Amino acid sequence: MSAPVIVAQNLTKYYGTRLAVDRVSFEVMPNEVMGLLGPNGSGKSTILRILTGYLRPTSGSARIAGFDIVGQGLEARGQLGYVPEDVPLYTHMRVNEFLDFMGRIRGLSNASLPAAVGDVVERLSLGRVRTLLIAKLSRGYRQRVAIAQALLGKPTLLVLDEPTNGLDPRQIIEVRELIRTLSRELSILVTSHILAEIERVAHRAAILLDGRLLSVHPLGTAGDGSRVRGRLRGADEAAVRASLQVVPGVRLVELLPSQGTYILESDAGAAPAVSALVQAGFAVEEVSSSGTGLEELFLGLTEGAPR
Amino acid sequence: MRSFLTLLGKEVRALFHSPIAYIVIAVFLFLMGYSFTLTLFVNKYATLVHIFFQSAGLLLLIVPIITMRLFAEERKAGTLELLLTAPVRESHVVLAKYLASMAVVLTMIALTGTYAAVLGIFGSPEWGPIYSGYIGLALFASTLVSLGLMISALTSNQVVAAIVTIGVSFMMWTIDTLATMMPDALERILISLSLLARFTPFATGAMYTSDFGFFVSSTLLALFLAMRALARR
Repeated sequence: MSAPVIVAQNLTKYYGTRLAVDRVSFEVMPNEVMGLLGPNGSGKSTILRILTGYLRPTSGSARIAGFDIVGQGLEARGQLGYVPEDVPLYTHMRVNEFLDFMGRIRGLSNASLPAAVGDVVERLSLGRVRTLLIAKLSRGYRQRVAIAQALLGKPTLLVLDEPTNGLDPRQIIEVRELIRTLSRELSILVTSHILAEIERVAHRAAILLDGRLLSVHPLGTAGDGSRVRGRLRGADEAAVRASLQVVPGVRLVELLPSQGTYILESDAGAAPAVSALVQAGFAVEEVSSSGTGLEELFLGLTEGAPR
Repeated sequence: MRSFLTLLGKEVRALFHSPIAYIVIAVFLFLMGYSFTLTLFVNKYATLVHIFFQSAGLLLLIVPIITMRLFAEERKAGTLELLLTAPVRESHVVLAKYLASMAVVLTMIALTGTYAAVLGIFGSPEWGPIYSGYIGLALFASTLVSLGLMISALTSNQVVAAIVTIGVSFMMWTIDTLATMMPDALERILISLSLLARFTPFATGAMYTSDFGFFVSSTLLALFLAMRALARR
């Protein structure tokens, strides 16, 4: 079995007297997409900043591809590409110039630089804007430029902080697709405060609250539709149970009758359960596949947390 | 070394890309040219001593304007995060910014060399004090630039960086006047820290290794502290 790309052990970070990250430990394996999920202020970005070498941990340690982030910072940083949350870029540079600059400081040689830049330009569909000033680009293109620079030098690990923030729905779908494609080549650590985003792209989700790691939850194949949430009008629990009993592979796992919401576990997606419920005469108002039960887990773990 | 040269190129382009460099150079040369011409016609002395002192006084105001953005702007824009998470050494980032700023300041100082050329063509100046004056100005500028760089590394607000740099520089320039009111031991220490007391011998044609050492060591100390400020994240 290959060695983990990230090994974080008891990472702790204080900002003055405020504890931002509290003894967080986790591992990320090669070609794995790990999602850090948590509400705003839960410590996600701080963990990324520690792992990327921007912040020093108060205590604890982490290794990136075997290199200690403090003792071997230069080597560790050489293994990763990072896209910070607000997509900071040198806006006075042109796209070409910026990618050249980032490629050079990532150690690409004069000989390999044009091909490497050409590769990321093509991959992120930046050809049309490569001679434009970054200041003139839309949010979506800036995000692509930021991801492009992170991929220069073929890193082992890609770190993305809230990569879909501020993007329109089409751009969000493109970023998701890109993450899925890239996970065949490298490991990805991605944060989001949007549960569905993590659920759609990650293999595992680490749930954070107030700087503590509450749980690391396997998501299996992202988006496999193993859980189905349905909302039925005027349905009572006994009747719903009775109609689902006859459907193979479908189990009722959670009930919120006051909201008319029923959560099922299904081995075959939503269709057999919906069909059975409709045949039984229920008015099915809404059906969604939540994939992995992450939402229920997240709500359960963070229940009672101050908002 | 290659990544350092890349960083240096980026800093030089960033400084010369912004209008600030051109404006400060133009204002500096206008004021110095005005002063040089006036003094030459009134006094008719083939000397640049007054130019050296006036240049030093103007540098106290101009250098903080050049250095205020170095780290403060990158910190505010978030690009410092991009830079420091790339496989580059913090010392390279600091040195690149220092050398790029020195390039602007030295360009400005070097352009006043035309005054020396005018004196050489139309008079017979003593060249020793002119050489030592320029060496002194370069060393003095180096201390100011590294001080401004260090203060810029401590804040994300450019205006704060500029004002604090001006305040600290002026305090160090004039601290010898305070020294006369102090007990002997403290007086010696304060005079040894005075930028004016250290610069005066250079401007008047005398060079001492102690003054040379002061400017070099204060530059190195401020650069080291700038690196520490970056590392204290």
